[in-house]
Amino acid sequence: MDFDLPEELEEYRKKVREFALREFTPELAEKCDREEKYPDELRKKTLAEGLVDFSNPWKTMIAIEEMCRVDPGLGISATVPYFGAEVLMLHGSDHLREKYLSRVAEGKAIMGLGVTEPGGGSDVAGLKTNARKENGKYIVNGGKMFITNGSIADFFVMLVRTSPPDDPKKRHHGLSVLVVEKNFKGFDSNQLKGKLGVRATNTAELILNNVEVPEENLVGEEGKGFYYIMEFFNISRVFVAAQSIGIAQGALDRATAFLMNEESRGHFVGEERKFKLAEIATRVEASRLLMYKAASYLFNYRPNPMITSMAKGYASETATFAAETAMEITGATGLQTDLERLFRDSKIMEIWEGTSEVEKIVISRMMMKGDKNE
Amino acid sequence: MNDQTEMMMDNIRQFAQANINDIALKIEREGVSEDLYNSLIQQGLIGANLPAEMGGAGLDRTSYDAILFQLARASPSVAFHVFMNNSIILKILEKASKKDMIGQIVSGKIRLGLIPGNIIEGSSEKSNIIIEPSKMNIYIGKENASLVDGMPELLKSKSLGLRGLKTDLFTSIKDGEKLLPYGDVEKIWNEASWDAAAIFLGISEGALEKAIEYTKVRKTFNFPLKDYEPVAFRLSELKSELEILKNTLFSDDSKEQMGMMLKTISAEFARRATKYALQFHGGYGYLEDFGVEKFYRDAVALNALMFRPILDKRALAASIYGEKSGYL
Repeated sequence: MDFDLPEELEEYRKKVREFALREFTPELAEKCDREEKYPDELRKKTLAEGLVDFSNPWKTMIAIEEMCRVDPGLGISATVPYFGAEVLMLHGSDHLREKYLSRVAEGKAIMGLGVTEPGGGSDVAGLKTNARKENGKYIVNGGKMFITNGSIADFFVMLVRTSPPDDPKKRHHGLSVLVVEKNFKGFDSNQLKGKLGVRATNTAELILNNVEVPEENLVGEEGKGFYYIMEFFNISRVFVAAQSIGIAQGALDRATAFLMNEESRGHFVGEERKFKLAEIATRVEASRLLMYKAASYLFNYRPNPMITSMAKGYASETATFAAETAMEITGATGLQTDLERLFRDSKIMEIWEGTSEVEKIVISRMMMKGDKNE
Repeated sequence: MNDQTEMMMDNIRQFAQANINDIALKIEREGVSEDLYNSLIQQGLIGANLPAEMGGAGLDRTSYDAILFQLARASPSVAFHVFMNNSIILKILEKASKKDMIGQIVSGKIRLGLIPGNIIEGSSEKSNIIIEPSKMNIYIGKENASLVDGMPELLKSKSLGLRGLKTDLFTSIKDGEKLLPYGDVEKIWNEASWDAAAIFLGISEGALEKAIEYTKVRKTFNFPLKDYEPVAFRLSELKSELEILKNTLFSDDSKEQMGMMLKTISAEFARRATKYALQFHGGYGYLEDFGVEKFYRDAVALNALMFRPILDKRALAASIYGEKSGYL
């Protein structure tokens, strides 16, 4: 068993870190946070330097971690233009992949994933947005909520109901995935402002009023959408673990620097604060190892949803623990630095892509099914 | 809870309903308005805990803490404004026999800003936090609390919490009129432990009430959130802890040691309670419109301003052991 990443990935990590330290300036991070503004120039620079490569998920995971370590709002913004791409990569027709994904890869388009709805966050199968077929088109009505890239994306991979469930207990039947463009008539979006954190990222509500979607924009098979999205969550949760570990590592970096500075100035640093630092460091390390395990299963085509949920759930709770504990260690200084932004950014990790509660449901169900990794 | 305290709880709850609840989000976005400042003065909330001979209302400890508790439930910023004036600024002026100045503050003719400086942990000489900058400010330095005349040169601030108040950073402090030696300010700080606990518990109640109401109506998988064990059990446990802590807060006990104990526990409790309250709101909790994220932010920001993880715990340890402890 080797706990080190291959040298190529370690080199890549260094390259991403150098980029983030150079481009994620305090001024840009502060401005995007204050103004809730998406840093589009940063997206283009990240692409131009070849730092986001979705054909190599290990690199993607490391890029996300290293960028979020410097600034989560900017880091997520720079790595999220492809959000939902895996659904198209795995199940989209050649035509859809060529038409949509190539534009995103070239930096000419941004995409998003439309799953969550106003009335149902965790309850994906309970969604209300429906699509009826009419004259070779789907007519989509409904709404989506908390959609990342919602008001800047050119198109969305969207989960909709195309037929009623064949059994009331099987609500996940009859769901399908469509590609919906923002330019389709009847589509509208409202940016959600006043978020606690990750304010550089764009989040919006989508309104779908008789939106006409060509039949060819169906992704994969009709009625299989729920499975495609659950499969996607199994991937995206590893990336949220990477965001979380980036935040936790960033908090650890800042708390460590603070205590070292205190000592160098001759100020007393007792063991109480050092122990807290040790607790953060231990949890960061444990989270990272769990993420590597989940990634190893997933990227070798043997996804293990239980380990993935453990990795995402534990890493996200580590992010909030690390940020809050770092605030405690640094006291009033923390209030005056970007640590306070990390603290605000960290909380969403326990909410998006499956709340901590949902992750525990997945883990316990699989444990009790005997579906453990033994 | 004695009758006077119970009456105060009702009065301030009604005051908050009439003057704060509907504009709580506006306070976070735009700050406390002049109208609200004036209402606090007219209601007699500034100077509430000062003796009548100093121009205050002479309320007992629990009645005063009822004010802070109820204000914090609605707006932690407003509660901190009252705390900062009553528990720190006016107490320093009282001990320094600045009766005229107290009269002017209590009547709303002047306001003083506070530069907590050395009384809080983690502040540095290079950048000090100032709260409610004014023409005159109280600065707590290494050796004295002093009255600093003139507006300091301000830097751009970052505000995690207390967004309803003006907070800023600055570098240069002019010499001012010495008011009290640091040791006396430390004593005032320790005596204010009960008041800080009242704010931490008010924040906790404000957040938990929102979470309990929200989980009654928000459905997932066809059932209200409250019907799920992890939600109902966790919120019930937190509410139970809160009620027990409130019993201590509003008991007749006013010993300094008990105040320090309560503050230590309440500070941690507020962080935990607000975190769960936000979590059970899901994505909506992350938006300011739902009014719960401010409690989460303020609980942590106020931990940095009102609770000193090392110095306060050392004081507590010394009171438990009866001698200097926990200093290695």
